Amino acid sequence: MNYKPDEATMMSYLYGELEPAEQKKVEEYLQQNPDEKKRIEEWSFTRSVFAGLEDKEVIAPPIITTDNTRPFWKENYFRMPLGIAASLMLFLVVAKLIGLSLTYSPGEFKVAFGEKVEKVESVQIPTLTEQQVGEMIRTSLAMNNETIKESWAADRKDFQKAIQGNLNKNSNKIDKLMQTASAANQEQVKQFVAQIQNDNLKLMKDYMQLSATGQKEYIESLLVDFSKYLNEQRKQDLQILQAKVNKVEQNTDIFKQETEQILTSLISTSKTNTLRRN
Amino acid sequence: MNKTLPDVAMMHSDVLIVRAREGDKHAQGKLVEVWYKRIYNFSYKFFYDHDLAMEVSQRTFISMHRNIPYLQDAGRFRSWLYTIAVNCCREELRKKKSSRSVSLHDLAPGEHEDSYHWETSGNRRENPERVLHQSELSDLLQGCLMQLSDEQREVVIMKEYEGLKFREIAETLNISENTAKSRMYYGLEALKKILELRKITKETIGYEL
Repeated sequence: MNYKPDEATMMSYLYGELEPAEQKKVEEYLQQNPDEKKRIEEWSFTRSVFAGLEDKEVIAPPIITTDNTRPFWKENYFRMPLGIAASLMLFLVVAKLIGLSLTYSPGEFKVAFGEKVEKVESVQIPTLTEQQVGEMIRTSLAMNNETIKESWAADRKDFQKAIQGNLNKNSNKIDKLMQTASAANQEQVKQFVAQIQNDNLKLMKDYMQLSATGQKEYIESLLVDFSKYLNEQRKQDLQILQAKVNKVEQNTDIFKQETEQILTSLISTSKTNTLRRN
Repeated sequence: MNKTLPDVAMMHSDVLIVRAREGDKHAQGKLVEVWYKRIYNFSYKFFYDHDLAMEVSQRTFISMHRNIPYLQDAGRFRSWLYTIAVNCCREELRKKKSSRSVSLHDLAPGEHEDSYHWETSGNRRENPERVLHQSELSDLLQGCLMQLSDEQREVVIMKEYEGLKFREIAETLNISENTAKSRMYYGLEALKKILELRKITKETIGYEL
């Protein structure tokens, strides 16, 4: 008999999950193979040991959950259209805010932002030939030259007129000066000099007179001041002399009193001596 | 699995699932009530972390509440619910691996006074010595489970503790039935070796139990 159960079959046998026929075959195999039977016994022992691990007692806590029912707008068949509608709404709002403008014409699709800017139609200017341009430049140059010449000529005339006028004025003035200078003769010069000398003499006299009176007044005031000073000095000297005389008088009085006292004392002493002798 | 009769009845009640699918809040609440312990224990055994298990359970049932109207076949409710739980677990696992923080429970679970073990302690009328032994054994076995790879641990928990058939595990994890069996096979082999390494034999376990 070549039957040998594999690991899976052995496990099924151990836990009694084999079909009756398969189980019988395994049992026969184990009877014929004591080593395998011993393995089964060892596993059974292991199982019996681990059966000693008992359950923990635990109390189920209250499990609070939110309501499972979903609102209709969260259902799948509503979500897609709602999403599209919301996106479209958002797009329209944003388009309004930024002034989006979409235009389509055959072969052209335009996306624009902001207000439409009106185009300014450009005026078509007729083009000129090279000769015409050259002619225009030449005529304008010729006209310009003519005007410059005219202005130059007018300026020159004005200059000449002004210079001439100035020359005439200056020559007239010089002529007048020369005439007045030549009209003055020697007598007039002498009179002029004499007049100047008289004036000078008069000025000198006045000056001397003024200075003499000034000196006189000054000396007078000086003399008066000096006399006042002398009087003052004399008064002071007299006062000093008076004071000294007074002092001498006082001294003499004191001296007199002292001599009198001495005399009286001498007299008294002489009297007392005479009395004692007697 | 300490399933009471009403629990079993509820779990297999297609009517309840159909009502919940139609938006019956009461039926949905009843489903949470019935399945919360299972999902919490699956997550707890997967992470060995109370907070993560609570987080996964909360998220699983919130997701169930949102998506139950789209459940086509009421008969596949169990594998469908575990699929949600597994996805939440994987997400939390990714977050946990990417973050550098380490939970205190990972270091020494159950040793602190404020540990969740006080909150989730079992029947208080039981013998305290037995409770202590049971707690130690649970920590030991949970530590062994955590040594498995994530893929093997998922399958082992679903099979051993949640009682799913291999077909349901395959459906839940979106893998072939043979792959599910293969993972279970290697998972069991690995657990056997771990027990040998820790010198847990029939004799020692007899004392523990």
